Amino acid sequence: MYVDLKMRATINQKLTEMGERERLKELLRAKLTECGWKDQMKAHCKEVIKEKGLEHVTVEDLVVEITPKGRALVPDSVKKELLQRIRMFLAQHAT
Amino acid sequence: MSPAGCSHVNGYKVDNWKQNLRVIYQCFVWSGTAETRRRKAKSCICHICGAHLNRLHSCLYCVFFGCFSKKHIHDHAKNKRHNLAVDLLYGGIYCFVCQDYIYDKEMEQIAKEEQRKAWKLQGMLTDRSLDYYVSGIGEKYTTWEPTKRELELLRHNPKRRKITTNCTIGLRGLINLGNTCFMNCIVQALTHTPLLRDFFLSDRHKCEMQSNSCLVCEMSQLFQEFYSGHRSPHIPFRLLHLVWTHAKHLAGYEQQDAHEFLIAALDVLHRHCKGDTTHDNGKKANNPNHCNCIIDQIFTGGLQSDVTCQVCTGVSTTIDPFWDISLDLPGSSTPFWPLSPGGDGSAVNGESHLSGSTTLTDCLRRFTRPEHLGSSAKIKCGGCHSYQESTKQLTMKKLPIVACFHLKRFEHSAKLRRKITTYVSFPLELDMTPFMASSKESRMNGQYQQTVDVLNNDNKYALFAVVNHQGTLESGHYTSFIRQHKDQWFKCDDAIITKATIKDVLDSEGYLLFYHKQFLEYE
Repeated sequence: MYVDLKMRATINQKLTEMGERERLKELLRAKLTECGWKDQMKAHCKEVIKEKGLEHVTVEDLVVEITPKGRALVPDSVKKELLQRIRMFLAQHAT
Repeated sequence: MSPAGCSHVNGYKVDNWKQNLRVIYQCFVWSGTAETRRRKAKSCICHICGAHLNRLHSCLYCVFFGCFSKKHIHDHAKNKRHNLAVDLLYGGIYCFVCQDYIYDKEMEQIAKEEQRKAWKLQGMLTDRSLDYYVSGIGEKYTTWEPTKRELELLRHNPKRRKITTNCTIGLRGLINLGNTCFMNCIVQALTHTPLLRDFFLSDRHKCEMQSNSCLVCEMSQLFQEFYSGHRSPHIPFRLLHLVWTHAKHLAGYEQQDAHEFLIAALDVLHRHCKGDTTHDNGKKANNPNHCNCIIDQIFTGGLQSDVTCQVCTGVSTTIDPFWDISLDLPGSSTPFWPLSPGGDGSAVNGESHLSGSTTLTDCLRRFTRPEHLGSSAKIKCGGCHSYQESTKQLTMKKLPIVACFHLKRFEHSAKLRRKITTYVSFPLELDMTPFMASSKESRMNGQYQQTVDVLNNDNKYALFAVVNHQGTLESGHYTSFIRQHKDQWFKCDDAIITKATIKDVLDSEGYLLFYHKQFLEYE
C-alpha cells in the first residue's frame, strides 16, 4: 500500500495528538525487551565501545554501528503486532 | 564522552534557563497533556524539510526544529552559533562543540522530573475509545541508581548470592521446641508465600511498636534467617515466645491445632502491621475492616452470603471478610451429600475420581450449595416483613491472592472427639470460577457456562504448600510440603528437609491447603 509523505505526516499527527504514539512506543519497548532484542543491542554496543575505546566513542558512533543491525533483528511478530495496532487505531479514528 | 558534562552549557545557564528548559521538555519532548500533545503534533516538524522523523532536534536557544540525520540542525547551530539542542525522541542534550551528547547533572535532573510528570499524566488517560490497550500504571520503569549510602553498603558487604533455577535458598529446617510442629508447618508455608517473602525481603515493614514484642519484626527476622543461606536448622524460640505472649490460648507445650495457629498468627500480624497501612496520600487507615496491610492484601477474601426468602424470593446479601475456607468432610456428623462425579467443578479442575473418592471441588461445591434453613430457623424477611423459611447460599465475592483451605478433620462435637481421615484429593491447579458470586449470578440470569472461559485468568490458583497431620487427635505430628520455583517440592518435618515428588504431595491426606493466584492484576 503506497503511503505518501503527506499521509504519513497526518497519521503521525493523529498518533501524537491522541497520545497513541507514546503508548505504541511503550508497547514496542516492552516487546523488544521480552524477545531479548534489547540485550542483544546492549551487547553489541559494548563491543563497539571496546573497539573504539571508552574515552573516544560518541553516541553517533554507536548509532551508526548498531542501527542497521537493530533494524534487521526486530522480529517479524513484533512488526506485525505494531502494524496491527496502528491499523486498529486508524480504523477507530478515521475522519 | 566524559560523565562530567561539558563547559559549553555555561553559556546557556543564565537567567531563567531552568524554566525555559522545562517548557521545552513539557511541550516538545514529553507531552503529558492533551494540549501539549496537540501542539507537539502540529509544530514538531523540521523547519527546513518538514519531516517529522530523522531524529528531530530542537534548538535550546531559539524556536527551531531540525533533522539530525539530514544535518539540518547542525547547519542551524553553525549559522546561529546556537551550540545546544535537545533530541525530541529521548530528551538527550547535544553539544555541537563537543560533537556528542552531554550529560549535565542539573539538566538531567530536570529531564527526569519532566519525564516522570508526563508519564504520570499519561497513566491517568480516560480515553475510553482506546480501551483495547493497557494504560501505563504508576511509575515508569527506570534503572536503579544507587545513592552514596547504598554504594557504601555495597562496598562494605562484598559477598553476593547468585540465585539460579536450582538453588534452594529459602529452605531451612526448624527445631521442634516441644510439640511445636504445628507452628513450624505454618512458618514453612508463610516463608514460602511469594508475596509475603517479597514484602519482608524488601524491608517494607516500618515498626511503630515501642516494645520489642512486634510479631511483624520477628517475621522479618525469620525471613532473614531463612534466606541467609544457612543450612543448619533455625531455632524459633523468640517466635514461640511472642506467640505465647500475643495468643495466650496457644501457650503451653501441648500440641495445638495448626489451623488455629495460622488464624492467630495472621490476626496478630495484621494488628501489628499498623505502621505499614498508609494510603497513597499518606493518611493512615484506621478502620480495622478496610485495612490495607500486607496480610489483608494477600490473605483477605470476601465471602458473600445470600439469604433468600422462600415466600417473596427477596434476597438479603452480606459480605464478610475471610482468611481461610473451612470445609466439611464426608463422614463428619454434619450431613454431607456426595455429589455425582463428573460435575462441572471437577471437570474444570481435572481431579481424578478414584472410585468415589472425594475431591476438593466436591467440598467446595458442597460449601457453596444453597442450604434450606428449615422451619426452626426462620429469618425475618425485609421484603414481606414476617418470619419466613429461607435458603442460604455462600459464594466467593472477592478471592484473596492466597487462598487457604482448611479440611475439617478434627471433630469436637458434644458426643465425640475424633479425627476424620477420609482421603480428599486436591489438584495442583484450581479454578475458582464455578464458586464465584458472579458465576452464580450468570447462572441465575440464564447464561449457562457450558465451556470454561479460558481467557479469564483471574480465578486460577496454583498449590504451593500443604500441611499434613499424622496420628490421632491425642497424639499426632504435623509436617508440611512446600513448593519452590515452579515444580520443586520439599517435605518439611521440623528440622529435616527432604526432596519430595509431586505424587507424594498429591497422595498426602491434606489438612491445610495453600493456593496462590497464578495471575496478579493491579487493583
